[in-house]
Amino acid sequence: MFHPTRHRHSIHCILPPYLARSIAQNGTSEQRERVLRTLSTDSTFRALRLAGSRTTPSTLVTRPRAMMVESALHRTIFDLKNSEAFPGTPVRFEGQEATDDIAVTEAYDGLGDTYNFFWEIFGRNSIDGDGMPLQAFVHYGNNYDNAFWDGRRMVFGDGDGDLFNRFTICLDVIAHELAHGVTEDEGPLWYFRQAGALNESMSDVFGSLVRQMKLNQKADAADWLIGKGLFTDNVEGVALRSMKNPGTAFDDDVLGKDPQPGHMKDYVRTWEDNGGVHINSGIPNRAFYLVASHLGGYAWERAGRIWYDAIRDSLIKPDMGFLDFARITVMSATRLFGPGEEEDAVREAWEQVGIRVARSGVRMPAFVGAVTQPSTQAGRAPRA
Amino acid sequence: MHIEIKREGGPAYFPGLARPREVDLTSLPPEQAEALRQCVQAARFFELPPVVGALPPGAPDARRFTLTVEEGGRRHTVQFIEPVEEPRLHELLEQVTKAERAQRRGARPGTPG
Ligand SMILES: [Zn+2]
Repeated sequence: MFHPTRHRHSIHCILPPYLARSIAQNGTSEQRERVLRTLSTDSTFRALRLAGSRTTPSTLVTRPRAMMVESALHRTIFDLKNSEAFPGTPVRFEGQEATDDIAVTEAYDGLGDTYNFFWEIFGRNSIDGDGMPLQAFVHYGNNYDNAFWDGRRMVFGDGDGDLFNRFTICLDVIAHELAHGVTEDEGPLWYFRQAGALNESMSDVFGSLVRQMKLNQKADAADWLIGKGLFTDNVEGVALRSMKNPGTAFDDDVLGKDPQPGHMKDYVRTWEDNGGVHINSGIPNRAFYLVASHLGGYAWERAGRIWYDAIRDSLIKPDMGFLDFARITVMSATRLFGPGEEEDAVREAWEQVGIRVARSGVRMPAFVGAVTQPSTQAGRAPRA
Repeated sequence: MHIEIKREGGPAYFPGLARPREVDLTSLPPEQAEALRQCVQAARFFELPPVVGALPPGAPDARRFTLTVEEGGRRHTVQFIEPVEEPRLHELLEQVTKAERAQRRGARPGTPG
């Protein structure tokens, strides 16, 4: 049974972290005390969620407060000098000046931008939510055509120069990989079939949002492309994927044509690509784009918050399909913003990609009005 | 000797790379073709199990290469899941991808091989 006490993790939305931090630095002692309490409560709630879904607030165990308050961005960039032997040479630590190696600079900045996005927007302290230091390894292998998160570190190849440029070149690709770490920590979602496509889509969603925040773009100004600039001029294509128009990102002699569907009627059943994880992710990607463009404004403010809330929901199952996830996003929308525009936008977006979330299929949690961001709720008339 | 390579994984699904691509040894400079033959031998390719390496848990976007070699009536297919750490197998993959890339470059109009 769903009931409001199971909704624990949105309490941090009471104050966006950037505001909280500014109060912690500049506010009166009373304001500071309140903010510290809020920030530590969020982490306590998170610990509670990990402990199991039947826990009630009476069993709260408070974790040490000090570690919850400060953001903890700790980056180290290592140069593997075209070998695959870790750990290579540390070339830049947190706070150090940029070197003249562009891959080092891009990795350092990309980790920072991704960290800042999750901290500022969701109050999440690093990949694991607990201040995990971020390590990136650049110049991995020879002509290596990939970037990946291996469960504890980021690894970037230089690309072969023929099809791909260096993999640090796209902020959204860096953020995509780091977001795999977040999904692994929160879900997890198995990297197979629909669950895997959802996993991929979460990474594209956050990857795109990190870039949109960096560029200060609203939903209608964003290009919704993933990996723009990664291809060399030899490739006929603009990016790896398009969230707005899945299937249109590339059409090339060597790479072939972008295989992504944007609707369930074109869902690809295949054994390749772990059951089409990079293929069918086009469907939830487009659903997210539709929500964000329907709601307008900055996509991370509402659409992004709904998706982040959904991936942290205790109803997430490792093998879940699109429909189950769609249901959770609808519930998240209601939980965060009350019944109305956001919930409708989410439901309609899924419907437009061929996934119908029946009204009766969603158990509505009682709306907890206190959990939403003050800025988006201000001045809004109550709705029936 | 006849070699085919198929690539999956990485940052996206590319149908063109996931389809087996032939490496034509006769189109390579003789010394590169010879190096490639020696790599196949050194790796004892025909004795390898069908899958080398295991997908580490929690490693999305990992890459996989499927190599098929045909020689003297024998044909064998091996799937390599990264990271491939054994030095001879690693070298074999490097040589095959390098040859395939050189071949692709050579086929592109206006691009020096
Ligand atoms: Zn991915």
